[in-house]
Amino acid sequence: MIGFLVHRLGWSVLVLLGVAALVFCSLFLTGDPAALMMPPDASRAEIAAFRHAMGFDDPLAVQFLRYLLAALRGDFGISLRFHQPVLGLILERLPATALLAVTALGWSTIAGFVFGIVAAVNAGKWSDLAVRLIALSGQAIPVFWLGLLLILVVSLHWHWLPTGGYGTPAHLVLPALSLGAYYMSAVTRLVRVSLIETLRQDYVRTARAKGLRERRVVIRHALRNALAPVLTVQAMQFASLLGGALVTELIFAWPGIGRLAVQALQNRDFPLVQAIVLLAATTFVVVNMLVDVAYAVLNPRVRL
Amino acid sequence: MPEDWLKEADFRIGLGLLLLVGLAAVAGPFLWQIDPLRNSLLATFRPPGSVAAGLWHPLGTDQIGRDLLARLLAGTRLSLGIVLVSGAIGAVIGTAVGVVAGYLRGWVDTLAMRLVDIQLAVPFMLLILLIMAVLGASLVNLIVVLGATSWPVYARTARARVLEVREMEYIESVRSLGASAWRILWRHILPNILPGQIVLLTLDLPRLVIMEASVGFLGLGVQPPTPTLGNLIGEGRSFLLNAPWLVIWPGVVIAALVVGCNLFGDGLVRRVEGRET
Repeated sequence: MIGFLVHRLGWSVLVLLGVAALVFCSLFLTGDPAALMMPPDASRAEIAAFRHAMGFDDPLAVQFLRYLLAALRGDFGISLRFHQPVLGLILERLPATALLAVTALGWSTIAGFVFGIVAAVNAGKWSDLAVRLIALSGQAIPVFWLGLLLILVVSLHWHWLPTGGYGTPAHLVLPALSLGAYYMSAVTRLVRVSLIETLRQDYVRTARAKGLRERRVVIRHALRNALAPVLTVQAMQFASLLGGALVTELIFAWPGIGRLAVQALQNRDFPLVQAIVLLAATTFVVVNMLVDVAYAVLNPRVRL
Repeated sequence: MPEDWLKEADFRIGLGLLLLVGLAAVAGPFLWQIDPLRNSLLATFRPPGSVAAGLWHPLGTDQIGRDLLARLLAGTRLSLGIVLVSGAIGAVIGTAVGVVAGYLRGWVDTLAMRLVDIQLAVPFMLLILLIMAVLGASLVNLIVVLGATSWPVYARTARARVLEVREMEYIESVRSLGASAWRILWRHILPNILPGQIVLLTLDLPRLVIMEASVGFLGLGVQPPTPTLGNLIGEGRSFLLNAPWLVIWPGVVIAALVVGCNLFGDGLVRRVEGRET
C-alpha cells in the first residue's frame, strides 16, 4: 500500500511539473514574452527595460527554475492589469467558482443516477427512450447556448430568476443548471450502460432467485458495482468543468475564476492566466489521485 | 425487437442530421446567394420570414441588417471546415505517436504516455484560449491549436490497440520474414487499427464543434465580421431580448451537428466493435 501511495504521489508531482513547463513555455511561442505583455504602442526601450525587469533575458532553464521555486512559495507573480499578487486575486474568486462547481456536479450526479436507473430498469421501453433523448440533448447543447436560452425564457420572459449576479440562492439556479446539464447527460449514459451490464450478471440473477424485491436487487446489489466507473469519469470531468465555468460565469456575470480567466485573456494578463491554468491542473491531479487512492483502499486488486 | 428498431433508427437519424448539415455547409452558399457580409441599415433586426428592401429573410436579419440565413450557411461551412481539419490533424498526430509508442515500447512509450497525462490534466478550453491569446486570433492558428491539442485520446487508444495487435501471429510471421519495423507498422499494423481510430474521430468531433463554438463565442477565434457558429451566438448575445433568433438558429445547427455525430458514432461503434457506449 505504501509503495502504491509513493508511486502515485510521485507520478502526480511529475505530471504537475510537466504542466508547469507547458504553461511556462507557452509564453515563448512567439519568441518574445516581453513584447507580448507590453501594450502595442510601447517603445523598444520600454520593452527592453520590462524584459530585464521580468528577467526574460536570463537563460530559459534559470527562468523556469525561478518560476517553479516562486510558485512553490505561493508566489505566482504580479498581475499586469491589477498590479496585485496573482494568488490573492484567484483566492478572492475561488469561493464563487467552488460553489458553482459543487452545485453543478452535485445536482447533475443525482439527476444522472435517477435517470440512469430509470432507463436501465426499463431498457428498450419508452421511458428509456425518453431518458436517452434528455441525455442526448444535454450533451448536444453548448453550455453558453443553454445559458442564454435560460436567461431568455426564465429571466427575460417569465421574470422568475435574475439574469445574472451573485449573492442569493436565486442567483445560483440558472448558472448551475447550465453548467451541470452536460455532466447530467454523461452520468445518465454511464449509469444506464453499466447498470444494464450488471443486471445481466449471474449474482444479480441469484439475488432475484432468492426472492429479493426488485428495488433491493437494483439498489443494493447492482448499483454498487455500477458506481466505480461513474466516480472515475466524474473525476476526469473535473478538467473540463473549469472550461465550462469559463463561459457560464461570463454569461451570468458570476464573479468566479472563469470570468477572471476570460478577463485576464482579453487583457493579455499572462501571469494571471498561467496561475489559473496551473491551479486548474493541480485541482484535477489532486482529485484524480484521491479517487485512485480511494479505489486502492476499497479494492486491493488495484494496488497490484 | 423494439430495442433493435430503436438502435437502427438512431443510427439513421444521426446520419441524416450529418448529411443535412453537411449539405447546407457545402451547397448552401451556392443556393442562397446573398452576401453574408452585405449590410442594410434599412433592414435591421427583422424577424424571421420578413421582407425588407425587396429581399426575403427566412431567418431574419441582425443588428446591421445582414441576412441571418446567409451568415448561418457561411458560418456552418467555416465551423465544419475548422472542426474537420483540426480533428484530422489531431487524429493523425495522435495515431502516429500511439502506434510508434505501442510498437517500440521502452522509453519512447513511457515518454509519450506521460505527455498524454500531462496534457489531459490541463483543461482543454483554457489551454486553447491561452495559446490563442499568445499567438493571436486567426483562422490558421485556431485550426492548428485545436488540432495540436486533440492528439492525446488518439494516442492512448492507438497504443492500446497496437499492444494487442503486435503480439498476433501474423505480425510475428511477417517479422520472421525479415520485414522492417517501418513496413510492419505501415502495411500490417496501421490498417488493422484504422477503423477504430476513424470511429474515435466521429465521437471526438462533437467536442471539437463545441470547443470551436466556445472559442468563437468568447471572441478569441476567427475574427468578425467573418461568421462562424460561435461568433454568431457571441455577437447575437447582446440583442437577446430584441432579436432572440440571432442566438437560437446558430445553436440549433450546433446541436444538430453534435447529436448527429453522437448518434452516428454510437452506431459505428456498435457495427465496428460490437459494443455499447
